[in-house]
Amino acid sequence: MDHQQEELLRKLGAGQISRRQFLYTASLLGLSAGLAEPIAACSTGPQGGGPTGSVRFLVAESFWANWHPYLHTAQVQRRLEQQIFDHLVEIESNDFSKYSPGLAKSWKQVDDTTLEVTLQQGVKFHKGQEFTADDVKASIELATGASAETEKMSTAGRFVPTTVEVVDKHTARLKTKTPFAPLLNELSILPILSSADIKSGTAALKAAPNGTGPFKVTTDEKDKKSMQAFSGYWRGSPKIKTLVWEFIQDSQTRLNALLAGQAQAIDRVPPEQIQVIKGSSHVSMISATGLENVNLWMRQDPPAPWDNPKVREAVAWSIDREALVKNLVGGASEVAKSLLPNHAAFAVPQSPSYTFDPEKAKAALSAAGVTQTPEFVLWGTTGFLPRSREVVEAIADSLQKTGFRPKVTITDVAAIIDALFGKDRTNGLMFHLSWSSTGDPHSALSLLYHSPGAWSGAHDPKIDDWLDRGAATQQSDARAKIYGDLQQYLWKMVPHIPLYNSDFTIAHSKNLTGIRALSNFMTYFYPASMGG
Amino acid sequence: MVLVIFGVVTLTFFVVRLVPGDPARLMEPPGTPESIIQTVRQQIGTDRPIPVQYVDFLSGLVRGDLGKSFRGGRPVAESVAKALPNTLLLGLVSMVVATVLSVLTGIAAALRPNSWIDRAVLVVVSVAQSTPNFWLGVMLVLIFAIEFQWFPAIDMAGPASFVLPGATLVVTLFPLLVRTVRQSLLDSLGEDYVRAARARGLPEHRVLLVHVMKVAAVPLITLVGLQAGFVLGGAVVVESIFNWPGIGNLALKAIQDRDFPMIQGTVLVIAGVFTLINVVVDLTYAALDPRIRY
Repeated sequence: MDHQQEELLRKLGAGQISRRQFLYTASLLGLSAGLAEPIAACSTGPQGGGPTGSVRFLVAESFWANWHPYLHTAQVQRRLEQQIFDHLVEIESNDFSKYSPGLAKSWKQVDDTTLEVTLQQGVKFHKGQEFTADDVKASIELATGASAETEKMSTAGRFVPTTVEVVDKHTARLKTKTPFAPLLNELSILPILSSADIKSGTAALKAAPNGTGPFKVTTDEKDKKSMQAFSGYWRGSPKIKTLVWEFIQDSQTRLNALLAGQAQAIDRVPPEQIQVIKGSSHVSMISATGLENVNLWMRQDPPAPWDNPKVREAVAWSIDREALVKNLVGGASEVAKSLLPNHAAFAVPQSPSYTFDPEKAKAALSAAGVTQTPEFVLWGTTGFLPRSREVVEAIADSLQKTGFRPKVTITDVAAIIDALFGKDRTNGLMFHLSWSSTGDPHSALSLLYHSPGAWSGAHDPKIDDWLDRGAATQQSDARAKIYGDLQQYLWKMVPHIPLYNSDFTIAHSKNLTGIRALSNFMTYFYPASMGG
Repeated sequence: MVLVIFGVVTLTFFVVRLVPGDPARLMEPPGTPESIIQTVRQQIGTDRPIPVQYVDFLSGLVRGDLGKSFRGGRPVAESVAKALPNTLLLGLVSMVVATVLSVLTGIAAALRPNSWIDRAVLVVVSVAQSTPNFWLGVMLVLIFAIEFQWFPAIDMAGPASFVLPGATLVVTLFPLLVRTVRQSLLDSLGEDYVRAARARGLPEHRVLLVHVMKVAAVPLITLVGLQAGFVLGGAVVVESIFNWPGIGNLALKAIQDRDFPMIQGTVLVIAGVFTLINVVVDLTYAALDPRIRY
């Protein structure tokens, strides 16, 4: 900090100038950006002991268009909600079979279809309502599709309809229609809303968030969500006073901001930046192999060629996945060993391990009865998945070597989504989407492969049956068997071409301590703190 | 002017609807049933025939209503009004600095053609012309924001934050401007009226600044008007690198989101400002050169 800054801060601290004068002078000197933190610190006062410091977290994915937490599957939005809402149970480490108390102080399985939860007391929503079992009832019945709400909730696909019996103000019984093994796992990412807000209707829920979480939203802009510490947080006030999540698409701009001290954390660090960050004395990293499968996606409902599993297998034998991971994607990414993420519960490495083998690819094509492979578009985007253009070009090159005729088209997300899911969809392959889960096979596979609504457009009763039985079976051994069989079947049928599990690297200022990031991509700024 | 803007907004209206990418599908997760997608289309109005949407858009425009963003429902006019001054301010600062530098450098080069100064200017111009602004922007940030920490790397936060994005734009604008100034001066310095002025014994600075510059300024002003279009449209890259909250960044994100009202609003305003600048440029000609009449 230079002399002018020190002098200004000294005057502000001594009360010789007002905050307005301070900001005006700092602005004239062009110092305001660098002084954001001292200003925030001064505003609480040295003797306050309250939250201090500002954290600006730059994310790589744009936010969802509204705040309704049950109407989207966007990863970044779910991570943002983690700061604002609480859940009945929490996952605190990368062991996704262990749950900690959240809004539920304790829980017990009463029978195969009933879970009784005892709730925390003295919990308040940001708007001041007291949290009770009525909120659990309204939230869970809405999110799971058990209530009379007409609009389809995206969350409902992850659950079986679950009704809630309110035993008393702080006890509730969750009753599922059939036994539902992943209930706790799903509850760990289900934000609990206020029953009063739910009664106000969908429009109110879309307009503004009101949770019981550590931070409350103060300013809501399309690409920037500003929050401040919720002093009434039931676990104790956060140590960070201001938390800002901002979407900046360009990874270089995010890195520049971090290195220049204008951001305290950045998301989705691409491999080429890892060495730069390692070389910086004031920045650290957290890396994990994400519970996220990056696949080559295709539709099976338009006709040839992707409705034939042998053609899909031929594609799988045409890609050098090891080389993609080693040379392009890097970081903590891993070659996918199953269509279930490698580190999810019940994941079993499958064989054969698809690798670049033109002979096997040609044999698979021959078994499919394909003599002339059709031309198709290999869609890709830039900006979100690291080195996506290079990955697409490498895949196209491999495919050409085994006789496929891909035409690479790099376009934006809107066009690509339309091309695969729109009414006039094409028979292309797509590299852009990834699907992350919470560690349970149900969340990893059901939305992708259970019909109707499977991303592949396929309706496979065998897959539906495995998924239904896997969700309904409580015993761990029996679930392992079911999901083992399902993984084998998926690997053989290749409904999508498995590529790799993503690298998930967050970089942050060393002054920001206590930040946690799990391989399910959840990023926790509570109870993190900003040092001097 | 009105016809030009009308043409631009009409073209934009139809082009954004012909480009692949359904905004409703983008607002729902993959695998969402078609019935839900159709409900979203009804909510944002893209389910109606395109001519109906066009008439609706024009009638809104006449009332001064640019519509509401598909993303979050904010009024487009509000977002544009917030972003436009930021772009204009950055553009104005850059244009002024680039023009002043170009005039000074151009005069220095033109007064001594083929001297070392002239050659040095031409070398600098060639280097600047072949430097891509996305690379230059990042380099400036790495050196002056990260290494020396003299200026902010991103954001519009006080006067200091104008330096790096401004410098990036200045380097982009500078080559064409300086070449134009130099060439105009060289052409004018050989004219009879300059010889006549010198023969009358006028001091050299008066010959240069009053007689020569007045004539040489005409092509420069034309170019400044045209470059204003570059600053408005081409600011997208610079605004993205520096996270500048301007209209280029707003338009880029609107295109990615297929936010039709926002795309239309930003293009309308950019077209309007560009047309207005060129009208001002045309009027300036008449002030500089009495032979030009409208």
